[in-house]
Amino acid sequence: MTETLLEIDNLSVVYETSRGDLKALRDITFDIRRGEIVGIVGESGCGKSTLISSILRLTAPNMRFRNGEVRFKGDNLLMASNRQMRDLRGSDISIVFQDPMQTHNPVISIGQQMVDIQHRSSASVREKRARAAKMLGFVGIPDPEARLNQFPHEFSGGMRQRIAIAMALMSEPDLLIADEPTTALDATLEVQIIERLQELQREMHCAILFISHHLGVIAELCDRVVVMYAGAVVESGDVREIFHNPKHPYTRRLIECDPGHFKERARVLPTIPGEVPDLADLPGGCIFRDRCDRAMPRCASDVPPLETLKEGHRAACWLNHEEVPA
Amino acid sequence: MANSRSELGTIIRGVARDPLGLSGLIIVGMIVLSALLASWITPYDPVAINIKDRMQGPSLTHLLGTDQLGRDTFSRVIMGGQVALKVALPAVFGAMAIGLTLGMLAGYGPKWLDNFLILIFDTIRSFPTVMFALAVVALVGPSLQTVVFVVMATSIPTYGRVARTQTLTLRNSEFILAERSMGASMARILGVHMLPNIIGVLAVLAAMDIPTVIALEAGLSFLGLGVKPPTPSWGALLKDGYALIRQTPWLVVGGGLPIIFATLGFTFLGESLRDVIDPKLRKNR
Amino acid sequence: MLKYAVKRFALAALILFVAVTAMFLMIRAVPGDPVQIMLGPRATPELQAALTAKLALDQPIWKQLLIFYGNMLQGDLGIDVFSERPVTEIVFQQLPHTLQLIFAAILWSALLGIGLGAYAAAHPNTLIDRFAAALSVSFVAAPAFVVALLSLLVFAVQLKWFPAIGVGEGLGDKLYHLVLPAFAIGLSWVGYIARLVRASMLEVMGENHIRTARAFGLSENRIVMVYALRIAILPVVTVIGVGIGFLLSAAVFAEIVFARPGLGKLVIDSITTRNYPIVMGSVLVSTALFVVSTAIADLVNAWLDPRARDSV
Repeated sequence: MTETLLEIDNLSVVYETSRGDLKALRDITFDIRRGEIVGIVGESGCGKSTLISSILRLTAPNMRFRNGEVRFKGDNLLMASNRQMRDLRGSDISIVFQDPMQTHNPVISIGQQMVDIQHRSSASVREKRARAAKMLGFVGIPDPEARLNQFPHEFSGGMRQRIAIAMALMSEPDLLIADEPTTALDATLEVQIIERLQELQREMHCAILFISHHLGVIAELCDRVVVMYAGAVVESGDVREIFHNPKHPYTRRLIECDPGHFKERARVLPTIPGEVPDLADLPGGCIFRDRCDRAMPRCASDVPPLETLKEGHRAACWLNHEEVPA
Repeated sequence: MANSRSELGTIIRGVARDPLGLSGLIIVGMIVLSALLASWITPYDPVAINIKDRMQGPSLTHLLGTDQLGRDTFSRVIMGGQVALKVALPAVFGAMAIGLTLGMLAGYGPKWLDNFLILIFDTIRSFPTVMFALAVVALVGPSLQTVVFVVMATSIPTYGRVARTQTLTLRNSEFILAERSMGASMARILGVHMLPNIIGVLAVLAAMDIPTVIALEAGLSFLGLGVKPPTPSWGALLKDGYALIRQTPWLVVGGGLPIIFATLGFTFLGESLRDVIDPKLRKNR
Repeated sequence: MLKYAVKRFALAALILFVAVTAMFLMIRAVPGDPVQIMLGPRATPELQAALTAKLALDQPIWKQLLIFYGNMLQGDLGIDVFSERPVTEIVFQQLPHTLQLIFAAILWSALLGIGLGAYAAAHPNTLIDRFAAALSVSFVAAPAFVVALLSLLVFAVQLKWFPAIGVGEGLGDKLYHLVLPAFAIGLSWVGYIARLVRASMLEVMGENHIRTARAFGLSENRIVMVYALRIAILPVVTVIGVGIGFLLSAAVFAEIVFARPGLGKLVIDSITTRNYPIVMGSVLVSTALFVVSTAIADLVNAWLDPRARDSV
């Protein structure tokens, strides 16, 4: 049984604003095992960024942890000191950000930046540069030794993202967080990057937390998936199970609306009507009620709990309780 | 087209709401007012020589004392404000008008004109201001007109470059393209459409420029190369004070403080104007 | 980098060329006979003829211009009428004093300004930050020569903490004499640079690449000092280059107020004696200094920021 690497346990996070508390994450619970690839699916505002900030503890000044724990290898990161967190970042837990164009320092050479992030290693600068060049080669950058001296603006977007991946994997982290790494790139680049990522993962056996709203990539890459909506987990489980047998209306609608899913030409592209609710002023009951096509009276009054329906498949929806009268 | 009068009202209200802007408005208002009413509010004639009262320190009869010729310092300070504005306002507005025209031509006209004008601007800017002023004064001789001319000439590139940048940006905007496609002449486009958009930015520049101009005039007068005596300029006060600094230090204070006040007032006003006219810049305050 | 340097210096040369031409034309545009103006009413016809020949005033304008350029490129700015010494020699004798003053002013104002600005950016919206902001605005407001006069009055005349006039003998004494003038002309710059650095730092610290640096566990020190400051400082470099021109102007006043030798004093004295060759020579040298310093500032900027190397 592979051990659990990261456990998010009932995590609740708010942002303190002048309008009141923005409840960005509410009772988030899921886990990632060693070597596993877990995807997070959700539209803007679902809380993905807050989740990442919480794991890495790179928090905004008005962010508050109201409840829950983030356990990494058994230790609650929320209780860790700044020093301990700094030791983890870039070594045990690495991240690749969404926008490759702004992610590197523009006035420092790529090589220097890749040497800097090896600051915990006691190797010589030459050895660090060699390692950096090797990593660049792994991600498919041609002529890496020469390119170490170049600056970010001399690389294309796709190459910058590969460099970001190389930097993230250089320390052989236990967990790689990939925050929509291919959203800013075109489709052909996306395929190449995903393939490369798969290869590297097979070699290094790191766990990946892969955030995306591109269902096709999630289905291709991930072992398990967590579906988030407006700060809550609405469904989670094995990726094939979820896509074939979704147990939450939101998941179902996401799949139906995904362009890759269409079996026939449609004159009008389907969408989910309505808007994401205001996180500072939440409606009572189920968070998806306003946009759900199968809402019942109970959905307006009671928040459905995230419960296990089958082995590893959880969903938060009263419809799964149909047989039990309210 | 926006109603410019109500827009002006909005801008002024915006400035007045900002504490810095309000103090700027008050200070500038005081200076302008005292400059306008100078001839009536000076307690003594600023140029009247009165040897028996010379070199007296501040007292109830002479608020800021008297200078080596017995002239009342306070009166000279007030009149000096009028002189300062007499130099600064024509110089700044002249520079703004010329710079605006040249800048719009540079931004809107053919490339060779643009390159030529930029070269002119950069050349003027490459002279250290005071050195340039001194060179001109050396050739033409000191006088009020010379000061105005010099001050104006050194300011033109500032307005010119900003006007040029704004024109270049606006040149390709949609409403200009629409006008051109309807056959509007260059004069019409520049005068009716570009101008109102650029004026705001230039007004901010002007407000920030006035202190520089006042300082330049005062500086030249301090060196004896500005307005001719006995015209009371703040710089001339500093000159007299410096010559007898141990005996009449109040002259240095009387000449220096108004300059600092004027600079502060116009700078606050200019910054506040900028924040109101272009809120995008606000975040870096 | 080399390509950029060449292009930049070519531009500087062009500007200098135009400036010199403008200067030359300005001199010739003055109504009246320059020889008579220079020598005054005491001039004998022989003296006038000699000077006319020396300045080649009997030649057509374009020829005069060429002779002028030719002389300039050889470092010959003419002869001082009264002392019979080359203008170049006189000007360059005074230049070091002015340069020392300017350098001292830049040094202290840049160091203090960058320090204040970086500190304010690291602790935004605290009491110190707001206080420093108010101070900065006030400092920028007071013109250099007014500050010079007031500090002369307060610190030298009344309090007698510093000497009022002169340059001093020996290193220590010279530094002692430098304090007030350098303080006076640098004061407005401290505020300006501090605000620039603060705004620049705040903007840079908010950018994504800083988030990346933190995500890789780099120390906050390294992030601020190396990753952020290197970008935030860029506008300051350009500003200092332009500042030399401003400081040159301010130095003129400081030299008069504190009775120090230098270009400023030279020019003022020459104006009163109508010694045009010296005036023009000084103006040309100071202009050249300014043009070169802006070019160097741009070069340093391009060295620090590789993205700038593609533009001139």
